[in-house]
Amino acid sequence: MTSTVRTRRFIVIGLLPALLLFSFFVIIPIIWSAYYGFFDWKGIGTAKFIGFDNYSEIIHDEVFWRSLKNNMLVVAASVFGQVPIALVLALLLLKNSWIHKFIRTAVFMPMVLSSVVVGIIWGYIYHPEIGILNFLLDSLGLESWKRQWLGDPAVSMYSLMVPIIWNYIGPYLIMFIAALHNIPSEMDDAAKIDGAKGSRKLFSLTLPLIWDTIKVAVVLCISGSLKSFDLIYIMTGGGPAHSTELLASYMYNNTFAIYRFGYGSAVSTAIIIISLFLIAGSQYLMKSKNR
Amino acid sequence: MLQRRFSSGLANGLMTLYALVTLYPLFWLFTSAFKSNEEFYSRPFQLPTTWHWDSFSRAWKVSDMGTSMFNSIIVTGASLVLTLIIGALAAYILSRFQFRLKLAVMGLFLLGMLIPVHSTLVPLFIVMNKIDLLNTYGALIFPYVAFELPIAIFIIQAYMNTFPKEIEEAAHLDGMGYWGTFLKIMLPLSAPALSTVGILALLRFWNDFSFALVFISKPELKTLPLSLSQFATGYMTDYELTMAALTIAVIPTIILYLIFQRSIMQGMVAGAVKG
Amino acid sequence: MNKKLSIVATSLVTTSILLAACGSNGDTNSNSNGKEKVMLSLWHNYTGDDQRAQTMRAIIEQYQKDHPEVELDVQAIPPDGYRTRLKTVAAANEMPDLFVMWPGVMTKEFQSGNLLQPINELLDSKKEWKDGFLPGSFDGFSIGEDIFSAPIALSPTSILYYNKSILEENGLQPPKTWDELMNAVTVLKEKKITPIALGNKAAWLAQSSIFSSLADRVTGTEWFLKAAAQDGAKFTDPEFVEALTYLQDLGKAGAFQDGFNSIDNTQMEQYFAQGKAAMMIDGGWALTNLAASASKETLEQMGATVLPSIPGGKGDPNTISGVVGTGIGMSSKVKDAKKQAAYDLMYAMAGPDAQKRVLESNQLVSYKVDLDKTKVTPIFAEVYDLVNSVTTTPVYDGVMSSAVADELNNGLQDLLMGGKPEEIAKKVQAAQEKEAK
Repeated sequence: MTSTVRTRRFIVIGLLPALLLFSFFVIIPIIWSAYYGFFDWKGIGTAKFIGFDNYSEIIHDEVFWRSLKNNMLVVAASVFGQVPIALVLALLLLKNSWIHKFIRTAVFMPMVLSSVVVGIIWGYIYHPEIGILNFLLDSLGLESWKRQWLGDPAVSMYSLMVPIIWNYIGPYLIMFIAALHNIPSEMDDAAKIDGAKGSRKLFSLTLPLIWDTIKVAVVLCISGSLKSFDLIYIMTGGGPAHSTELLASYMYNNTFAIYRFGYGSAVSTAIIIISLFLIAGSQYLMKSKNR
Repeated sequence: MLQRRFSSGLANGLMTLYALVTLYPLFWLFTSAFKSNEEFYSRPFQLPTTWHWDSFSRAWKVSDMGTSMFNSIIVTGASLVLTLIIGALAAYILSRFQFRLKLAVMGLFLLGMLIPVHSTLVPLFIVMNKIDLLNTYGALIFPYVAFELPIAIFIIQAYMNTFPKEIEEAAHLDGMGYWGTFLKIMLPLSAPALSTVGILALLRFWNDFSFALVFISKPELKTLPLSLSQFATGYMTDYELTMAALTIAVIPTIILYLIFQRSIMQGMVAGAVKG
Repeated sequence: MNKKLSIVATSLVTTSILLAACGSNGDTNSNSNGKEKVMLSLWHNYTGDDQRAQTMRAIIEQYQKDHPEVELDVQAIPPDGYRTRLKTVAAANEMPDLFVMWPGVMTKEFQSGNLLQPINELLDSKKEWKDGFLPGSFDGFSIGEDIFSAPIALSPTSILYYNKSILEENGLQPPKTWDELMNAVTVLKEKKITPIALGNKAAWLAQSSIFSSLADRVTGTEWFLKAAAQDGAKFTDPEFVEALTYLQDLGKAGAFQDGFNSIDNTQMEQYFAQGKAAMMIDGGWALTNLAASASKETLEQMGATVLPSIPGGKGDPNTISGVVGTGIGMSSKVKDAKKQAAYDLMYAMAGPDAQKRVLESNQLVSYKVDLDKTKVTPIFAEVYDLVNSVTTTPVYDGVMSSAVADELNNGLQDLLMGGKPEEIAKKVQAAQEKEAK
């Protein structure tokens, strides 16, 4: 048996379980759902083929555009909030001392809590009557800064950014720490001999070595922000008057709350397409910058 | 030197403060579990006036948490093992081999990360109904693994990309085949990435509500998230029992997180010794 | 070595799929041994620890004990996910035999998908039971002559709850007219007391509890039914805009506490129960919540009445908007012996005896039962009397399709933040027209 045949067989066999499972349980439903997007279907009874009507309705629906705008804010906050903060914390928390261990664990803890708990707590922080935030502003003599943090469409989206960033730093932190620990110590030593220190070492050695992980983190960030909505849903329910609606909650609402299954499926296909563009764009930018 | 120590002390101090703020919700959850419903609303931030110890046993009994905890452990455990093995194998191939369809395969996996799970509920239900998979552990395990694979593959692959080529060459000289290299060298070396994936997957499996709600209908197969949401009627939520149940459910995940975290920090050393 | 490993890896997936499939087959077969048992599946959402849920579960258990020949497959599904679950199986056409179902939109949609079968036969065979229901009880469950379920609950949606001592201390009476209400708002505002507690985060509350009744006072029931059918009336008509303006005026006068759009109905009920607001406009469901969380003294302080009348309004002021609650629906696939068993279970869950037990768990029913007032809270008894002394008008989202109701819900949130009534009316009308297409 020649080595190329062996290699090829190993590649096929190694990828097969993943591809089989994935195609059957993920790809088929995705295609199926995209297919529903071409129908006027309530989720019950007969469906009527309507071509691209759902998509043209999406383009003309102002709630969709508002959801998209809100969602872009969430993506931006996640990519430019969660990832850099996690990276800085990871660089600071590399040691195995108990204090670093403690802080690392603490930063991750919001992730283990159910979104319900996190949502309720932030709801109380922003609560218009008994909220901690307004109470603090009061006692600092900043009454004029008081707001209805979640009830006023002018600020509610921004109020929601804080818990979102805060909640999801943990996973990126551990990803970065794992990557940083993987940098071979010889490289560190080599850098020391070269006299590379501080920021120069960071940019010329550390970041390039974990660049792949950072790219993956950005992909996770974008896809996560576009498809999840639970935290915001618990805190505002997408309201008032759609002002904090996201693409995924818009999709869910159409699909399961108001009997517009076909339309909801079309929205979810739109979400995939938008995500693909964003991810392609981000990867392109990150590639051209560093290689 | 002194100045440096001071500034690192300051950084540590600030971070500790941040850590305490971050830990507060956990503390809040634990104390809320002891409160009556009335107190939950009227004094959300204070300690309970009387400590309701019985809410734990009531929550446990009413929502039959014994059964659902058992099921959650089985489903989460099986899904976790499958995700790690299948994901690591695929990541190894995508990271260390060149072949024609590589980009297409990676693109396919990327697609799976983008779809909102709710829009797959109905198609998945129909597919699994056709092959008689509904109402088995498999109805949860397979979709969990399939949906988690892309993330697992991408994280592990990015990690493996940083391994120097010499590692494999050395293994090759030792007469190891691909399977040997994968099992004896790549897997141990990737322990930190595997642990990272492990934590994320664990949380997702343990907390998933949508799939568990739709694909499982036998009471004896239901998982924890279903038990946790039993105390809401749509018009009101029994927070005393909800918080108690949430507290019970969160403890295993914290313990497992601590175990995984150890492995993230020690993985490198251990891997180096074995390799 | 290599071969073995590769076989292990690839067959891991396939074998486990097979195993899982086998497992499920074995299960269904094992039930067929022994005598012919009737298999009946039932889905409900009575999962909690509240009185009503406990009562319903006890009734189901009792049925199982009394009917050993029936094998019940009961599934208690958390209410948060119940509708999602039901709609998924409806999309796949895999309904359970019996299931908890809502009147109005859900009944209509399920019927149009041929998922239901009428229960007229059962109702007609037990004349006394059928006649025991309050007038209009079957409306939401009927399409043409066919009746698809019998309600096990009644939800009056717009009750004006008030705190007797707060009103008395400020020399006020429960408002009977709009002017009295506005006056009460002014007086209470001056004393820095919140006049009306409101929690409209979930958006349906203002529509279901305040607007359904308020708009009925202004436009009259007939106009609304016409508009909803797009038959000679439109939501852009001046009377609808006027109704919206009334609600907005109430908001502008400062009747509601700050941040009402970011707290939910439970928080609102707590706020009122803690004596922080003089009034609250809420449905019958609040009673369960209040009974569970307010102290005895506070409960005795509470009173209940109808919304005030509107000057020159076309509707009858002595009404409360309301809908019947959930009932049990039956899948169109249920036949023969199964059908009889299903009828028996339905009767056990919605029959006279069940209605009485549900009522005694602080849940209003749409059935004539004498209430033993020692078994319930005083405010429950008062609401019970109130509901029996007034007529019921339709609730907006009980009649409108869910897409239109969704538009109105969001419109009302917008309205209370200063949106223009005319604009909102236009949007609701547009949504209604799209639905009619």
